[in-house]
Amino acid sequence: MAPTDNELMEAVKDGRVERLAVLFERYHVALFNFFLRLTGDRAASEDLVQDVFMRILKYRAGFQSEGRFAVWMFQIARNAHVDHLRRRKPMLALDDQFMEPPSPDPPPQARLEAESEADLVRRALDRLAPRKREILMLFRFQGLKLREIADVLGCQVGTVKVQVHRALKDLGRIYGELQGGKVS
Amino acid sequence: MTCDHIQERFADFLTGELDASARREVQDHIAACAACRTELEGLTATWARLDLLPAEQPSGRVRAGFYEMLERYKENLEHRSLARRFAAWWERASLRRPAFAAVAAAVLLVVGVGAGYGLRGGGGNREVATLRGEVRDMRQTMALSLLSQPSAIERLQGVNYTQQVDRPDNRTLAALVETLNSDSNVNVRLAAVDALYLFRDAPGVKDSLTASLAGQTAPLVQVALIDLLVEVREARAADSLKALIAGGQLDPAVKERAEQGLKQLI
Repeated sequence: MAPTDNELMEAVKDGRVERLAVLFERYHVALFNFFLRLTGDRAASEDLVQDVFMRILKYRAGFQSEGRFAVWMFQIARNAHVDHLRRRKPMLALDDQFMEPPSPDPPPQARLEAESEADLVRRALDRLAPRKREILMLFRFQGLKLREIADVLGCQVGTVKVQVHRALKDLGRIYGELQGGKVS
Repeated sequence: MTCDHIQERFADFLTGELDASARREVQDHIAACAACRTELEGLTATWARLDLLPAEQPSGRVRAGFYEMLERYKENLEHRSLARRFAAWWERASLRRPAFAAVAAAVLLVVGVGAGYGLRGGGGNREVATLRGEVRDMRQTMALSLLSQPSAIERLQGVNYTQQVDRPDNRTLAALVETLNSDSNVNVRLAAVDALYLFRDAPGVKDSLTASLAGQTAPLVQVALIDLLVEVREARAADSLKALIAGGQLDPAVKERAEQGLKQLI
């Protein structure tokens, strides 16, 4: 049977760092997509993936096997992303950077119709407030439970539920607007 | 149960994290409450739409970068564990034979300085050190390749590349010394003097520079070397300068500079 994430990370912690390669193969695409949805920048997302695995090596002694590896890894990923934002715009307060509207004007109606549904979802997601986008990414694609997302974000599980609800509602509204006025 | 209470459960409902009885409560409520039903239908549709997003693939750069970083990290770990074993052995040996300790301490110092040189940055800066190492290696490989080209311009570029390396390894330093001593082009040799000036504190570089003086024939290079040796206050260079002056057949300007330099050194 394949070793679990936690078994692999325990080995890495004990000095068998080559075991990290298995975790890399399991997670680098998921991490890349997580960062890509947050930044919209492929090159930056690739750098961030690399950064996460460097940090995992650097902080490997701090891994607690009571928690799930993926939760710990996404905590690291969030920190890497925050540092990335700081580096990018050192003059702005972090909240301002996080709250910047990612909303280019929608293209003309004619072009919209040609867009596939997936493109629409992607564009709707891009227009969603970054914090809401982040929580949906963790929730929908990373297979994390609500409790685990609360651990990643460092907040109460009740807060996560409310935020997921709001994020989905906003996303539905934006999607409807992009689709041509009808709010779903 | 109020609508607020029911809606608090929608997130769990979507991910299937509700137990059977809580799930039934939600279903019973939405069967009777049109507002909550519409709300949940909207969320479910959006939830399902997210599945349409295809997973994007990163470029090969990510995998290549990761494996390179991992290799370097492993190498560093091995160096560190070797240094630890050596320290433990030294402790045991020196306790048994105090006279041995003095000699061993000197050896350890050299090893320590060498290790510190290689592993500078420690745990806190390891990622930066890793990245620097990667860039350094790339530049060095590039420089070494350029230094062996037949075109003087490319060799000059090679020398310039070495100047961008933070701490070049012995191979690169040896290639620079070789360029200084035997490159056929004066400009390339002069560039090598400048590059080696930057790395004057690396082990052996001052000795190589001092030794190189005797073999140089072009006045420009000779003067550049004398300037450098005086600048770095290399006391051992005094003998080389004396030998140069005594050797005769020296360009008058070089001779003058050498005599002047000799006064500055002693």
